[in-house]
Amino acid sequence: MGTTVTHAPALEGLSQDSEPRHGPVKPGRPAALKRRRRRENLAGYLFMSPWIAGFLLLTAGPMIASLYFAFTDYNLFDAPQWIGFDNFSEMFGDPRWRHSVQVTLWYVAVGTPLKLIAALGVALLLAQSRRGQAFYRAAFYAPSLIGASVSVAIVWKAIFSDDAVVDRTQKIFGIDVGGWTGDPDMIIYSLVALTVWQFGAPMVIFLAGLKQVPRELYEAAEVDGAGKMRRFWNITLPMISPVLFFNVLLETIHSFQIFSSAYIVGGGAGGNACGPADGSMVYTCYLYVQGFENSRMGLASAMAWMLLVAVALVTAVLFWSQKRWVHYEEGAR
Amino acid sequence: MVNGRNVERRTVLKAAGATAATLGLAATTGCGGDGGASADGTVTIRYAWWGAEDRAQRINKTIALFEKKYPKIKVKTDFQPYLDFWKKFNTQASGGNPPDVFQNAIGFLRKYDAKNVLLDLSEQAKAGNLRMEGFRAGLEKFGEIDGKLLGVPVGSNSMALVIDKPVYTRAGVKPEQGWTWDDFDAAMKKIRDKTGRAGDSGMYGVMYLYDLYLRQNGKAFFTEEGLGFTESDLADWWTKAEKGVKDGLYADAKKVAQIKPKSAVAAELAGGEFTWDNFTVRYTSEGKSEYGLAPIPTTDGKKTGQYLGSLMLSASKRTRHPKEVAQFIDFMVHDPEVAKIMGYDRGVPATQAQYDAYQPTDEVNKAIAAYEESLVKAGVLEPITPHPNGADICESAFLRIAEELALGKRSVDEAVKQFFTESKTALGT
Repeated sequence: MGTTVTHAPALEGLSQDSEPRHGPVKPGRPAALKRRRRRENLAGYLFMSPWIAGFLLLTAGPMIASLYFAFTDYNLFDAPQWIGFDNFSEMFGDPRWRHSVQVTLWYVAVGTPLKLIAALGVALLLAQSRRGQAFYRAAFYAPSLIGASVSVAIVWKAIFSDDAVVDRTQKIFGIDVGGWTGDPDMIIYSLVALTVWQFGAPMVIFLAGLKQVPRELYEAAEVDGAGKMRRFWNITLPMISPVLFFNVLLETIHSFQIFSSAYIVGGGAGGNACGPADGSMVYTCYLYVQGFENSRMGLASAMAWMLLVAVALVTAVLFWSQKRWVHYEEGAR
Repeated sequence: MVNGRNVERRTVLKAAGATAATLGLAATTGCGGDGGASADGTVTIRYAWWGAEDRAQRINKTIALFEKKYPKIKVKTDFQPYLDFWKKFNTQASGGNPPDVFQNAIGFLRKYDAKNVLLDLSEQAKAGNLRMEGFRAGLEKFGEIDGKLLGVPVGSNSMALVIDKPVYTRAGVKPEQGWTWDDFDAAMKKIRDKTGRAGDSGMYGVMYLYDLYLRQNGKAFFTEEGLGFTESDLADWWTKAEKGVKDGLYADAKKVAQIKPKSAVAAELAGGEFTWDNFTVRYTSEGKSEYGLAPIPTTDGKKTGQYLGSLMLSASKRTRHPKEVAQFIDFMVHDPEVAKIMGYDRGVPATQAQYDAYQPTDEVNKAIAAYEESLVKAGVLEPITPHPNGADICESAFLRIAEELALGKRSVDEAVKQFFTESKTALGT
């Protein structure tokens, strides 16, 4: 997929450190110093070279190639034919494409906030010190470790199909809507449930953020008679807003890229890849269908770049909006 | 960071060495899939097919026989369900690494011939590595496209109505050769009313059945270049379908979707399904009931529009062992022992020798043999509908859009329009 995000919040810290540290510089001729430096650099690059080679061959190269394919008609077998913006105009005119955009936007708009609310809620509970704290944290984090795997998606499908656990539990309460995975309107909810269940990563980040909130703020507020809700809204939330922003950003981007769970819950072996009546056809699923089922790699590449642009725009909007709601402590930035 | 120490030449060399080793490792794993000949002349060929576990077990037994007879040829196997098979094959073929020999069907011959993937086996036939005589019913011609031998039939099959026998009996329906669509509709109602089960699993989305219906009316699903029917033809077909779903004559599309890849008949959602006759073998292993074959309903009381279809074995043009592949195919289509193992899993064996070698003893396989014999006797078989490049994409679009219609996500008009748009793109017309 076009963009990759690593969960590494430490980027800012790096910039101060990146100046190479040298030992006590011996007074010597500048030429020798230069030579030594050059050799150091060379060694550095050589040590990095497996990564650099991987980046160039496996990430940068294919990305540039896909940018080129986006403007071609390419079926994998014949040489790509340059067709300009035809792929893009076909995309916009295709009702299935528009449907996939709708499904994805819905999924992002509903799934991401729910996931973050769950993450924050659990983080608030786990932030209080109690016995077995470490165990609880590990237990709540566990689903996130396995959540993205194929096997969980298969289990998920089994849980949400007709006459399975969810269906039967619903029936006990008199709700008879049947299994979710066979229902074009319901299947997307099972995907939302799956992503909410994987709240571990943002939860850990929230936890770290909550630890940073100075105790004395709460104490002072308590003295002033602020209740629990008041303290949450006026102290906790503003104080963790940078962390919240980071989580919103990461999870939004992440949600746009949902593929494997949708692909497996929606179809898997031997079926339509995108759920009944394209009910779970998120953007990347349709991209996959065009690329690998219909062998239209040019069109699929164009779709991938479109997704990249869309995600970049959303990210830009989020960054722009942070002025209004993200609170940075004096000097913390 | 090396923290002030002098970076020795050795360090640089070590880094370089480590890098080279990593890259070298990556390179070796990168091309590990290439089958080749080893020092003692043993050749490995890759064989891929689509199917379920049941078929895989049979095929593995036949391969054991083959390797016994040809100890210098080893066969590596791979199989997936139908749709996944073609995705994987397409990717492998485009990367220049298709299996040496693989299961194929008529709908893909032109497609992969146009992409230069298929080996013309006629040279191997001339060289005597592959015998093209002894086939039944003119089947040796089935894999010929534009004078090239692109596939060798392993069995013949035909569209049929596979039924859950006890359900039909309980409903008091007895389909006979030459029954009409009106009879069929009445039967669907009877089954629904008397057994509480839908009569059919979703005939409106089966491309090969709609093809038969069109052929009964002097048309066909495909011409050499494109679609052989109009939007209003399809609108009629799907209008009837929409009503049938609403009335409970056809199974609840939602339930059918959920039990995939299991069939709706084996899952007891429907009394019958239009599919290939050899599928009764699969349904019998999947379901609890007893399954039989009924004739295709007709428009005029005579013509069913049926033809013999066939699964084939094809070789890829890039294989480095064309001779061994030809020997493999030859063995698989002619050896009597293979027929005994495979039964009618891939259809009724294509060659007379294999046909004679396997005498079905169980009801299911006897019924398949009887069915195809009855088709020959009734004289209903006609030449096959052509399948242009892109036919496979039309087939899956037809199935998917029909499902959307049945789920109530599209009106008939929208569905028809969408199908024509997608097919035109796929067929390049």
